[in-house]
Formats: sequence, structure tokens, C-alpha cells
Amino acid sequence: MKKALMKDSVKEIKNTYKRFLSILLMAFLGVGFFAGIRATSPDMVDTIDKYYDNQNVYDIQVMSTLGLTDDDINEISKIENVDKVIGTYETDGKLEIDKVEEIVKIMCVEDINKPRLIEGKLPENTSECVVEPNFLVQTGKNIGDTIEIQIENTQNDDGEEVEFLVNKEMKIVGTVASPLYLSRDRGSSTLGSGKVDYYIYINKDNINAKDIYTNIYVKVKGANELETSSDEYKELISNTKSKIEEIKDEREQARQDELINTATTKLEEAESEFNNKKQEAEDEINNAQKKIDNGKKQIEDGEKEIAENEQKANEEFANAEKQIEDAKTQISESEETLNEQEAQANEQFAALEEQKSGLETNLAAVNSSLNIANETYNGILEALKNPNIDSGSLESLTGQKLACEAQISKLEETKNTLTAGITEIENGIASGKQEIQNGRNQIQAAKQEVEKQESSYKETKSSTLAQLQEAKDKLKTSKEEITSGEEELEKQKEDVNKQLSDAEAELIDARDEIAKIEKPTWYVLDREQNSGYVSFIQDTESVENIGQVFPIVFFIVATLISLTSMTRMVEEQRTQIGTLKALGYNKFQIASKYVIYASLASTIGGIFGMSVGFVLIPKIIWMMYSMMYQIGDISLNFNWKFGTIGLGLIFICIVGATIYAVVRELRQTPAILMRPKAPKIGKRVLLERIPFIWKRLSFSRKVTVRNIFRYKKRFLMTIIGIMGCTALILTGFGLKDSISRIMPDQYEHVFNYDIQISLKDGLEEKQIEDLKNNLNQKDEITNVVETYMTTETAINNGVEEDVQIIVPEDKNSLDGTINIVDLDTKEKVTLNDNEICLTDKAAELLGVKEGDTITLQDGDGNQKQVTISNVVENYVYHYVYMSKELYENLYNKQYESNVLLVQDSNLSEEQEDSLAEELMNYNEISSVSLISSAIRTMDETMESLNYVVVVLIVSAGLLAFVVLYNLSNVNISERIRELATIKVLGFYDKEVYDYVTRETILLTLIGIALGLVAGYFLNYFIIGTCEINMLRFNKTIEPLSYVYSTLITIAFTLIVNFVTYFALKKIDMIESLKSVE
Amino acid sequence: MPYIEFKNVNKIYEMGEIKINALNDTNFQIEKGELVVIVGPSGAGKTTALNILGGMDTATSGRVIVDGKEVTRLKNKELIGYRRNDIGFVFQFYNLVQNLTARENVELATQICKKSLNPESVLEKVGLKDRMNNFPSQLSGGEQQRVAIARAIAKNPKLLLCDEPTGALDYKTGKQILKLLQDTARKENMTVLIITHNGALAPMADKVIHFKNGTAEKIEINQNPKPVEEIEW
Repeated sequence: MKKALMKDSVKEIKNTYKRFLSILLMAFLGVGFFAGIRATSPDMVDTIDKYYDNQNVYDIQVMSTLGLTDDDINEISKIENVDKVIGTYETDGKLEIDKVEEIVKIMCVEDINKPRLIEGKLPENTSECVVEPNFLVQTGKNIGDTIEIQIENTQNDDGEEVEFLVNKEMKIVGTVASPLYLSRDRGSSTLGSGKVDYYIYINKDNINAKDIYTNIYVKVKGANELETSSDEYKELISNTKSKIEEIKDEREQARQDELINTATTKLEEAESEFNNKKQEAEDEINNAQKKIDNGKKQIEDGEKEIAENEQKANEEFANAEKQIEDAKTQISESEETLNEQEAQANEQFAALEEQKSGLETNLAAVNSSLNIANETYNGILEALKNPNIDSGSLESLTGQKLACEAQISKLEETKNTLTAGITEIENGIASGKQEIQNGRNQIQAAKQEVEKQESSYKETKSSTLAQLQEAKDKLKTSKEEITSGEEELEKQKEDVNKQLSDAEAELIDARDEIAKIEKPTWYVLDREQNSGYVSFIQDTESVENIGQVFPIVFFIVATLISLTSMTRMVEEQRTQIGTLKALGYNKFQIASKYVIYASLASTIGGIFGMSVGFVLIPKIIWMMYSMMYQIGDISLNFNWKFGTIGLGLIFICIVGATIYAVVRELRQTPAILMRPKAPKIGKRVLLERIPFIWKRLSFSRKVTVRNIFRYKKRFLMTIIGIMGCTALILTGFGLKDSISRIMPDQYEHVFNYDIQISLKDGLEEKQIEDLKNNLNQKDEITNVVETYMTTETAINNGVEEDVQIIVPEDKNSLDGTINIVDLDTKEKVTLNDNEICLTDKAAELLGVKEGDTITLQDGDGNQKQVTISNVVENYVYHYVYMSKELYENLYNKQYESNVLLVQDSNLSEEQEDSLAEELMNYNEISSVSLISSAIRTMDETMESLNYVVVVLIVSAGLLAFVVLYNLSNVNISERIRELATIKVLGFYDKEVYDYVTRETILLTLIGIALGLVAGYFLNYFIIGTCEINMLRFNKTIEPLSYVYSTLITIAFTLIVNFVTYFALKKIDMIESLKSVE
Repeated sequence: MPYIEFKNVNKIYEMGEIKINALNDTNFQIEKGELVVIVGPSGAGKTTALNILGGMDTATSGRVIVDGKEVTRLKNKELIGYRRNDIGFVFQFYNLVQNLTARENVELATQICKKSLNPESVLEKVGLKDRMNNFPSQLSGGEQQRVAIARAIAKNPKLLLCDEPTGALDYKTGKQILKLLQDTARKENMTVLIITHNGALAPMADKVIHFKNGTAEKIEINQNPKPVEEIEW
């Protein structure tokens, strides 16, 4: 490359910056749009992949109709490629908040399927839980508030009722998003309305019933390294899944065996216990009988004994009485004897007394003799004592004395004898008397003894008699006791027999139950069965589809634009090219200037486009989807593949167009090149050959028509550009129309009720009837319809969709409340007794039509086959309509209304709110939802769709602007001489402007017309690809949208024309004088 | 009072730092119906004078009066009106609209001015009766210039300005064109101004203005202008 040429290239850019910019902008738009849209789908997949890796979301999930055990976990762990197996517990519970019943899914915070913490913290103990953010919004609860979950007891393997949770009252400590529930759909439940409203995560410690797992989650080795939903991932998972399915039968059998064994063991235990109890009871009865018999015998014995004792006592009494009598007789005999003895004694005594008195008389004589003797003796003694006593006296005296003494002693002796006699007599009397006395005493004692004996006998007798009486009494009581005992025994016997027979019946039942234990069914699922995940992946595919169509418009336009621009540029520089060629530059050197120019424009524009596109477009698309999915922020990637492809494509388009233009010129010889290029030859157009029309055209119109056909390339480009612009804008509006019509279509057209009232469980028919009457009497309420609603899963060919089943109490009562209209015939459908009506989108997703059969599966996995009578119109969610008769036949259940649909009398928002509040006060009502508020909420969500419209309009506008501006520049530069000439001729600015833009306007109008048609199809296609599973978009575009699209395109055209106007004004007339270059 | 008067007209082009004095105190007068030839070397200011006179450019100072109208005082819109109604312009390179037939090229001019002539009769006058429906590319250079002249005179202007009308033509054709212009001036009593660097054409004019260094250096009046046929160069 020569320096001069390089300089020339740079200068060229500077001089023709407008052209450079317009090519750059085209590249920017083309690459930005292409790369951005194409990268969005991979970005979305990458986002979910990263999210799932971070949250360690399962690859395979196993559920069983009879729960799962540690053995199952062990067996699955053994499978090749299985990385981690975690058993966990999930169940549904109810919550009542402000009288509204909410169904919640309760899950444990595990190492797998980790919830994403949004606010607060995760539950750390049994009294904490976390909820989803929407729960707080909808219920008005806050972090820190306490909720109480009502949850049914579960049964352990022993058949015992077990509380599911340790703690039912928990404090909300944070909010989380569950990776298992990406969309707003929370699945179905067997509780309440049949639809889960929210999920709640609890700490695993709060699970009380830990024996049986409800779910097993499996992570597959190497799965996290692969991108989820990629073919490699799907293959890896399906390999492992089929290996798990291989042990499925075995594990199902094992579980059945286990349950049967446990139950049998339990039954056997119960049986032996029963037998023991029976034995015991019999023994007890026998014992009791024995006791009674014994008692009876004892009583007999007692009676005998008492009789004997009585006799004996009587005999004893008789003896004792006789003895006493004998003793008394003896005593009285003794007394008599004694008295006789006494009398004898007394006679003796008298004799003795006489003797005594004789003796005493002798004694007295003695005594007196003695006294004399004594006195004599004393006199002697006195005399003796006289010392002068003569011896003869003394001898006489001594002789006297001796005589006296002898006398005295004799006397004394007599006296003693006498005294002894007296004493003897006295003693005799005394002893006699004493003897008598003794006898008397003895008798006395004997008497006393007898008396004593008598009294003791009497005592004994009375006590004996009392004892006997007592014994008799006792015996009588015993007898009575035994009689009642006998009665009781009889009763007891009856009771026991009844109990035993009951127990026996129970045992039989239990045996039957065991016989009834079925083989459980394992469900081995992967991520493809998670509805939120699947619909997200489907959406990424929709985005991919859109990405394949949209950018095409930009690429085509970019190519055409650069082709015209560069051709023009080359043409303008014809002379220069010729000169260079004449100077000896080769083709390559000459072309390089233009190639560099185009390369720079396309590369710079493309790189800018990529940088903006990779960020802006995924973000905007994500914004739409984030209202449906709770995943977090999109992970933005610089997608080399699409970046390179986009840049490459635009490079090829623009540089290719440039090379084409240059090469075409270069083929000419320098001489020809240096001569002015023969201006485009004027030609008659076809229209001129139709004088009828041609003649009627004004002069300026003729010129316009000619010019349009003169520049065919420009003609095509303008039309394509404008068409693309209009089509894009119309698609934007069309999308908005479709989406904003969903709610009115559904809630005015299909559902015509205003309030939906959920009834509490287990109401009597009468209560419902009363409530209905009560409501009907209100002025605000015009109509009340009873229905039963529940959520089930509709299945066909492996496709599963949650559907709401509506069963009207009376199949004619829905009319006017819910309009069941056949999709094809547009006629009202009446429910029949054998078939269901299925809504349109569900039918499409399940791939069924009228007359086909689908499977309905309830929350417990029970499946029913039903045939479709009509596919009916519907826009939001999926519904199955079923008559009461069919419902009762199908489910073998008594029909029970649980929802009232109420139409009100065109109430204002406030009136409706106060009516709802009033309704909530009824005891029978569990919740009241206003359709109008649901619509409002949805409307708010759909506001964000305006972004899409704005994006489409802005990009379409940019497209239109670039195209028109560029074309107008080319047009002016190509016709500058002509324009200068007509200015010289005296055309006013306005006339010059008209002269030029009349064509543009005509082409714009053609472009708009074609664009409206193209937009119709584009919209149809886009809606078809990006329709959400749950919704049916109405594909019709409002007339006003056509108007708006037209007006906006015209507005863009006018803006460009406005710019053109000034460009035209600036054209120097002197140009007209210059020679043709 | 002359029909056209140039009074002390100056024209300065400012090209960045450089000022170019294209016209330097130029003065001349032209009477109604005169055929005027302006001669001079390149860069003498002939075209500038013509442009100012034709309302395509404005003078920096001085006055230009045409039929009592002070052109130098006209506002942009009036200037366009002036061009539209009072001026007919014949370019060196004809400047025909390629996409329009001969007649349509004439109509392009006639449809915008009030007192225009019938395009067909004008074309007939210039001798193109049979080529009216041809596109410029189907016409020879001379024929194209005839169309251009027809376009200019069909407006029935007060002034016919021709900038090197024969510059791109061969001698013979050029002569025919000049003849046409001379005839037009004579027959229609049209005031015609012809710029040329070819001094040999001077005898055909009623008045010859010599331009040099941005000013009308010398003005000659030919008492007996020669018919074009008699001039050789």
C-alpha cells in the first residue's frame, strides 16, 4: 500500500464521514442485532446452567408412591456415574392468613436444590423457615413474623400416625427463590384448592417423620461440567437414568416386601399378643370362677363350723353352768358342815371356858397364896436384910425363907400349870375359832370363785355368741359378694369375648391389608419433567428462533445499503480510479482504498454493535422473561461464536458489496474511466404505455414514476428498508396487542364472573345452599354458580401439563359465567356425561384433538382416562370442563362444591373491595379473589412488555433512518447536477424537495403497505415461537396498531426528509455549471 | 435607463484564509433585445458575473438592476422567483434531465413559470419537432443543446444567459447553436448574454464586453453585427 493511497483512504473517510457513518451504523445494527439476539438464547441457557450448578440442582429425581428408604439410597449410590444421592422430605401443608387458606409446599434446605437466598438468612433450627418473596407481598407478612402450618400426620412403616414436623409454628427468617420452581407455577396438591400457592423451606431438623423419604435427588458425575439441556448433558443423564430404571423393579419389589414383612411381623406380634391376651383372659375368668367356687365352699365350711361351734359352745355353756351349780352346792354343803362344826366347836368352847374359869379360880387362889408367900418372903427377905438379925432367927428366917421359897416355887409351878392350861384352852378355842374362821373363809373364797367363774362364763358366753353372730354376718356378706362376683364374671366373660372377637376381626383386617399392599411405583424423573425448567428451556428455543429471523432483515438491508453507498462512492471517483489506473497502480492497490474504507466501517460498526448487542439485547429480553421466571440476573457472555459470525457476515456483506462495485468499475480501461460516465439512460416505463393512466398523471407525477423506475436498486432498497421498519414496528405493536388482549379475552370473553369464592372443606350441602341464597339476596350480587375445582396433571404421549378441572354443580349453570365455546365452530358447548372439554392451548401442547383420549393424574398419582368432546377457547392457563355426572363416575366420589363463582352488578373497585371484605366474614368462605384485581396485577406485569415494543420501534426506526438517510444521500449526490439545474430553472426549495422526496414518499408508502403485510406474518411467527405454555396469545393485530405502525414509519421518513430538505437547500447551483466528472 | 445595469459590483470568495476577488468593481449596461457576448480568459470573472446576473449567486457589494428590479436586493425566495420568471439559462453541458424526454425537459421549466410558451412550439422552433419524445441520450450534443435552449426560452424569460453554450460541441454544431441564439435574440427581441472564451465570436454580438481580472475592461458596441454564418473561427 502506497503512502499516498493510505492518506487518500483516511481523507476519504473524513470527507465522506456521512457515508462512512451510515455504513458503520448499518454494521452496528446488523451485528448488534444478530449477535445480541443470537447470544441471548445461549446466555439464557448459560444463566440457568450456572444457576443450577450453583444451587446444585438435581439431575435425576426419584419418587415413589410408597416413599423411599435408606436402602434405596444405597442401591442408587452404587450405580455407575452417580455422584451424590440425597433423600429428602417434601410435603404440602395449609396456612391460614387473615382467614385465607393458602396451600404451601414444604421443602427442606438441603445440599442439593439449594434455595437462593434473597433476603435474611436460611432457617437454622426447627423454629425457623424461609418463604418466597411473593408470599410476603401477597400475605402482608414480614420477616420476623410467625406462621403456623397445618399439616396432616403421616404414617410410618409400622402404620403409626406420626407428626410430620417437630415444630409447626415457625418464624420467617428470610426469603428465597427455589431453583425447582422457576416459573410462577407451583404445581398441584391434594389439599384445598388443589393448587400450591407458595413454597416454604424449613430446616431438615424440623422433620419429625424421618423414616421415609418422599424424594431422592441424584447428582450425576460430570453433569455440572456439561451445559444443562445440551445434547451431551441429556445423553449423560439419560444413560444414568436408564440405569436407575434398571433397578426400579427390584427396588419396588424390595419396598413392597419390606412393607409386607413389617406388616406381617406386626401382625404376627399382634396375633401372639392376641393369643396371650386371650389365654390371659380365659385364665383370669377361670381364676375368678375358682375363687367364686372357693368362696362358696368356704361359706359352706364357715356355716358348718359356725353350727359346730355353736353346738360346742352350747355344750360348754351347759358344762360350765353345771360346774358352777355343783360348786355352789358344794359350797352350801360345806357351809352347812362348817355351821355344824361351829356349833360343836361352840359347845366345846363353852366347856373349855368352864374349865378355864375353874383354872382361873385356882389361879387366882394360887396368886393370892403366892402373894402372901411373896409377902412373907419379902418380909423374910427384909428381915434377912437386917444386918442384925440373929443367926437363929436367921436360921429360922432362912429356914422360913426356904420354906417360903419352896412354897412360892410350888405356887409358881401351879400357877404356870394353870396358866398353861388356860393358855392351852385359850389356844384351843382360838384355833377352833380359827379353823371355823378358816372354813368360813374357804367357803367365802369358793363362793367368790364360783361367782367369778359364773361372771366369766357369762362373759364368754356372750362374746362367743357375738362371735358366732359376727361369723354368721360375715358369711352372709361373703355370700352376697360371691353372688355379685358371679354376675360380674358373667359380664366380664361377655366383654372379653367381644373384645376378642373384635381383635380377631382386626387381625383379619390387618391380614387383608397386607394382602392389599401393592407394589409401589417409582417415578424416575429428570429436569425435563420440571415444568418451570422445561418452559424456560422452551423459551430459550423461542428466543433462538426469533434470533434466526429478525437479523436477516438487517443483513439484507445492510448489504443493499453498502452496495449502493459504495457503488456511488466508486462512481463518484471514477476519474480518480481511471487516473490511478493510468498512473500504473494495479487493481488491487486501487480497490484496497475502498476495501479498507468498507472494512473499517464494518469492523468498527460491528465491534460496537457486538459490544452493545451482547449486553443490551439479552438484558432487554431477559427483562421480559424475568417477570415469568425467578432466576436472578442473566449471565452476559461475550459470545465469540455469534460475534464472529455476525461480524463475518456483515464484513462479507459490506466488503463484498464494495469489492463488487469496485471490480465492476476496474474492468474498464482508464480512458473510459476518465471520461464521464454516461448518465443513466432515460427509459419509458411500462406505465407510459397505458396512456389512459399516464395522461392523467401530472407532470411531476410522471417524473416521479420515471425516476422510481430509473433507480431500481434504490427503489428496491427503500422498499425493503421501509418494509422491514414497518414490519418490525407492527410486530412490536402486534405483540403488545396480543398480550394485552389476553386478560380481557380470558376474563371478559371466556370467564365472565367477577369474584371467585373458595369454600371451606367439609361443608354440608345445606350450608352451601344457605350461603348461596344469602349471597343471592345481596343487591351487589347478580348470580352465583356452584362449582368444584381442582388441579390435576393432563398427560398424553409423555407430555404433562397442569390443568384446572372445573366441574359445575349443574352443567347448564355455567352459561354466562364461563363461556365454553368450541374453537372451530365458535358455538357454545354443553357438557355431556361422558366426555370433557379441554382448552385449546393444552390440547395443542398435548397434541390432542376432539375425540382423543388423555390421562388425568391427581396429586396422588391416580390416573383416569378421559375423552375430549370439544377443544374450547381459552387464553390463560389450561382448563378441563367436566360434568358432575362424569366426575362422580370417574372418581367414584360424591360431588362436593368447593368454589362459588359470583357475578356482581358492575361494581366499582371500592365497592368490590368492600364486598370482598364482607364475604370474608362468612364462616363458610375460606378465600375471596377478585378477578379485577387479578387483571390489574397481570396488567402491571405486562407493562414491561412495552419495553419490547420500544426496542422494536427504536431498532426499526434506526433501520428506517439509516436506510432512508443513506438512500437520500446517495440520491442527492447522484443527482446533484440535475438538482442544481432545476434550482437554476427557478424551482422553489419546496419544489426541489418535492421533486426529490415525492419518490421517497411513494416508495415509503409502498414499503409501508408491504411492511404491514410482512409485519402481519412476522408477528404471527414471533407470537407462535415465543408464546408461553400457560397462555394463548391472540394473533390478531388491532387496526389501530396498523395505523400507529404506518404513522411511526411515516414519522421516521419525515425526519429523514427534513434532513434532506436542508441538504437540498445547501446544494450549490454552481454545481450545475461544472463539467461532468 | 438601461435594461440591465451592473454598478460597481464586487464579488469576493473567501476560501478559508484566502480571499479571491472574482469581480472587482465591475460596471456595464445592456439594453433590451441586445445580443451580448462576454469574452475573456479563464478566471476573468465572466461566469461569476453571469451567475450574479442569473440570480444563482449574490454580489458582495454593488448593484445589479434588471428591468428596474434590483437583483442584488432580492431575498432568497424572490431570487428564486426571479430565476423562475425572468431568466433562461443555457449550460455548457446542457444539463438536461436524463430521465425526461426532450419535451418533458422543456415542460420541467414551463410548468413552473407564469408566462411560459407552449413547449411543443418552442421545440418546433428550435428544430426538434420530430425528436420531442426522445430522451437526451437518444439525441446528439447539438440537439441536446437545442433542447436546453428550448427549455430556457420556453419560460419566456427577460434574459437568456448562456455559459459557453458551444463549449462541448463541434464547430458546425456550435455554429448552429449560436445561430439559434442569434435568431432568438433577433426574432423574439430577447436579451441574450453569451459567455465565451472564443473572441472570434464577438462580431455576432450587438455588444461585446471584455472581461479581464475580474472586471469589464472594455465594452464594444457593434453597429453591424455579423450573422453567425458569416463568422469563421
